[in-house]
Amino acid sequence: MAQSCLWIVALPLTAFVIQALVGKRLPRHGDWVSVLAILGSFVLATPIFLKLLSSGHVNDSLQFNWMVMPGVQKAVTITVGVLVNNLTAIMLFMVTLCASLIHIFSTGYMHGESRYHLFFAYISLFSAGMLGLVISDNLLTLFMCWEVMGLCSYLLIGFYYQKLSANHASLKAFMTTRVGDVMFFLGICGLYYVFGTSNLTQIYEGIKSGVGSNVTLVGMPALTFIGFMLMMGTIGKSAQFPLQVWLPDAMEGPTPVSALIHAATMVAAGVFLLVRTYPVLEAAQIVLPVVATVGALTAFLAACIALVQVDIKKVLAYSTISQLGFMVLGMGVGSFAPGFMHVITHACFKACLFLASGSVIHAVHTQDMREMGGLRSKMPITFLTMFIATLAIAGVPGFSGFVSKDRILGDALAYGMTHPTLMWIPILGFITAGLTAFYMFRLIFMTFFGHARDEHKHHHAHESPITMTFPLMVLAGLSFAIVFAGPTGIHSIDANLLPVHWFDHALENVKTEMGVKGLHVSEEVEHHAHSLAMVISLVVAGLGIFLSALTYLKKVISAEAFEKALKPIHTLLWNKYYFDDFYIKGIIQKLFLPLTVVMAKFDDKVVDRILVDGWARVAMVLKSIIGKFDDVVVDKVAVDGSGTVVAAGGWVLRQLQTGKVQQYLILTFIVFGMLLFYMTR
Amino acid sequence: MNLLDFSNSIEGYLLVSSILLTLGIFSVLTRKNAIGILLGVELILNAAGINFVAFSKFHLAALDGQMVTLFIILIAAAEAAVALAIILRFYRLKQTIDADEASLLRN
Repeated sequence: MAQSCLWIVALPLTAFVIQALVGKRLPRHGDWVSVLAILGSFVLATPIFLKLLSSGHVNDSLQFNWMVMPGVQKAVTITVGVLVNNLTAIMLFMVTLCASLIHIFSTGYMHGESRYHLFFAYISLFSAGMLGLVISDNLLTLFMCWEVMGLCSYLLIGFYYQKLSANHASLKAFMTTRVGDVMFFLGICGLYYVFGTSNLTQIYEGIKSGVGSNVTLVGMPALTFIGFMLMMGTIGKSAQFPLQVWLPDAMEGPTPVSALIHAATMVAAGVFLLVRTYPVLEAAQIVLPVVATVGALTAFLAACIALVQVDIKKVLAYSTISQLGFMVLGMGVGSFAPGFMHVITHACFKACLFLASGSVIHAVHTQDMREMGGLRSKMPITFLTMFIATLAIAGVPGFSGFVSKDRILGDALAYGMTHPTLMWIPILGFITAGLTAFYMFRLIFMTFFGHARDEHKHHHAHESPITMTFPLMVLAGLSFAIVFAGPTGIHSIDANLLPVHWFDHALENVKTEMGVKGLHVSEEVEHHAHSLAMVISLVVAGLGIFLSALTYLKKVISAEAFEKALKPIHTLLWNKYYFDDFYIKGIIQKLFLPLTVVMAKFDDKVVDRILVDGWARVAMVLKSIIGKFDDVVVDKVAVDGSGTVVAAGGWVLRQLQTGKVQQYLILTFIVFGMLLFYMTR
Repeated sequence: MNLLDFSNSIEGYLLVSSILLTLGIFSVLTRKNAIGILLGVELILNAAGINFVAFSKFHLAALDGQMVTLFIILIAAAEAAVALAIILRFYRLKQTIDADEASLLRN
């Protein structure tokens, strides 16, 4: 099982390599390579998921040594590997399914774009990154895949690189998530410091046996520090308050990218990190209430902004942030299983919403909802699927969003009842649920109902090809509650394919495996809170839809009048609470820009002038000394000197060679005579 | 015994050969004419030949010395032929047989 997981990652990765190298020359620019690869991953992920459904429990792992480093006392071995548990099985199935559908959708949506092959290369790499993250059994490889996704996100947001805004958006996304990533890495370092490993299973075991409960790090309990750092990772990746600014801008990318990365999978990776490291967060003090606060604030603030947006994708982007806030809120209050369930349900219906919006944009060539309207008859499939997904996100009973969101809110209410000072968290949650219903139906009404506001665009609109509508239909099918919380009423499905409450069983198993405690309130409180929460969420959702219908369908309430009456609030929301202005004008221009100027000065004056140029001077002096030595001692004295000596000796000896034979003879006789004289003496 | 009768002692022979050697060396060292030098060389060779014969006669009582002397005469003839040939070639080159002019290998 773990073996096939490796293949699940390897297939899209191979597709990326092929696409990046030769994609341009393949027939159809190689889109089929990527599509087949991800479909292959889906086929491999399915048996794992089916095993989970039939037995309610999968657990397999695979490890191999990555690095063996000689240490001081013992060798340090870093292992990497695969951990397949129930969470992984569900995520793998969801990710490969969504990614496959989005790949197929892209073949229609991106048709005829330049750099078509590169688009598929990027989304293949992205899929490989996400799948790698899901199967990683340790935080190091998880972090690598996390960064691969960050890179792909950057590349895909800036896919239309001719557009200045796309460039800015890609940079913004990359730099903003970087803040979270650095802290996440510090968290991993902290975990390694405390547990001596980054392996998740070993960390779970360590937490169970109470390791690290009395270790301190930077002046606070180590686990608290780690918990906060992991939370920051999630905040960056899942666009939580206060780092939510990048996600709306990320809509500059092609719409399938928005669906794949910025709704279904990558942003869910942040929440998935919380899920994977949940025991650590539980063992840490005061981290979870902070997580819940962040989630609640994000959900509420983003939902408010979504009310005033007119760009169809921006509305969905803010709704994504808001829904991610719900998940984080759920994690924070201890609603482990519903929080994770919301990741999955949200991925399905949000992918559907984004793809449907892509289909609309494809048809009318604008993203401004004010120029749409009356598209219901023109695009029936897109309308129907988007409507179903909207019912799901709005929390209408019978749809998947209701199941997960209602449980989160129920747990949050129970949490608020036991911690009265944090009662405002569930209250914010309920308000957000109402707002969600309101703005989502606003989107539906403005896009598909009423009369056409732009006759020309309306006239040319048409239903998208089957490659685009088929994924919509599948995803809309997954937006029904029965998929997640059975019973379907059909015996053969209930008994074999989708056992009733399969999700809860799977999550219960994994909770005991990981040692997750979850929300612990008395049964009475829980029961009470859940029935109350269901009533409240039904009321707020109904109210939201009703008000939305009155405002945008029946036009009984004038949106313009409201806008005028609440001008300051509208302006505040229109400017996204001035977060971007604060970051850009405040932090970046006031703080970082002067800092960069100082750094540049330092670099220029100290590093360049003193260190680099100074060393150059020293080298020059040394050079001249060595040059002199070489010139004088080696060349003049040693080389030329020996030559001169030989030449002089040669001149002396040459003088004897007079060429006069008799002179030689005289010398010979003299020497002979002298020899004779000395030898006979 | 007559003072001047050297016939039965070696001194007479050695005296003659010494005179011949001295004359030969003197001629070789002083003559500028190449043929003169060649003649001097012949005198030296003959002095050596007389010595061989004399020592053979008085001290060996065998004919070894005489044998060597025959070789010396032979070699002297060959040497004279080669030397004369060189001198002729030299004359062709320099229009003179002055030994001092034969200084091409000087310095």
